[in-house]
Amino acid sequence: MEKLLREATEDTPNILFDCQNNLLEIKGTSYMDDPMEFYEPVFEWLKNYFSQPGSSDITVNIEIVYFHSGSTKVLLYFFDKLVEKTHKGTKITINWIYEKAERDMREYGEELQSNFKALLFNFVEVENQQI
Amino acid sequence: MQKNQNMLIKNISNQGIFFYYNGPISQTTVKDIISVLKQKLSLEHASGTIVRQVFPMIVENAQNIMHYSAEISPDADSKNNIRVGRIAVGYKDNHYFVLCGNKINNDKVEILRNKLTKLQNMSKDEFREYYMEQSRKGPDSSSKGAGLGFLEIIKHTSGPIEFDFEKIDENMSFFTLRTVA
Repeated sequence: MEKLLREATEDTPNILFDCQNNLLEIKGTSYMDDPMEFYEPVFEWLKNYFSQPGSSDITVNIEIVYFHSGSTKVLLYFFDKLVEKTHKGTKITINWIYEKAERDMREYGEELQSNFKALLFNFVEVENQQI
Repeated sequence: MQKNQNMLIKNISNQGIFFYYNGPISQTTVKDIISVLKQKLSLEHASGTIVRQVFPMIVENAQNIMHYSAEISPDADSKNNIRVGRIAVGYKDNHYFVLCGNKINNDKVEILRNKLTKLQNMSKDEFREYYMEQSRKGPDSSSKGAGLGFLEIIKHTSGPIEFDFEKIDENMSFFTLRTVA
């Protein structure tokens, strides 16, 4: 299985899904017109990855600069898929990466934490994000 | 005429408006607007927090227009309808604000008014709960997600939203929304 890599554009985020290192990374800005069109291949890849044998721990790095409403729905759907995977015995850690000054982003992460209890949340502050 | 136009420009500036777009809106337009404003806000050293509050207001309003405006660009070909709307961005009383306006069909007026009134009257906790509930509905639910668009706008406001519907004729009304970051 190959890595999935998407370079960021003005309205799509940077995506790096690395099956060798069991690292899933989504970073940046997401406000495309049709989120499912963009994320469909990402979920395809994920389905394939989750069907591979073995159950190594998975690390997920989420660093949102700006996600619009449609992308937020997709993100939560992604979290649902991760929760399903934990039911099969995989330990999944979310590194919720946010800019220090963005208290709302931290709070939002905490809210997700309480909505997706099967996932382990780790809050990571960074100094200055490129907007 | 000349004088009226001078007045118009002056009025726009007095209102604090520094950006105004009136025309067909596609995703390319949205990206261009964001990129122009990104430059403007960064020159003004607007904080990241402000930028993060203003952008959702522009993107969600613009995408609502893209999907729901009842005004279709006469220049677009029939296969590829591009909808028309207006977006203004300004700065007044130490806050950035976003105005949006588009035509809607009269039979949508009450539905939209009720939706916005309901959101306007929610407490902070009610809103947060409702927002989470709506965003967990899955990416394929709701037609194109206008409901969540308004939620996303309100999530980033620092004050109450203002909206208005003005009847144009038997078929159409003009909808405006003003939100403050």
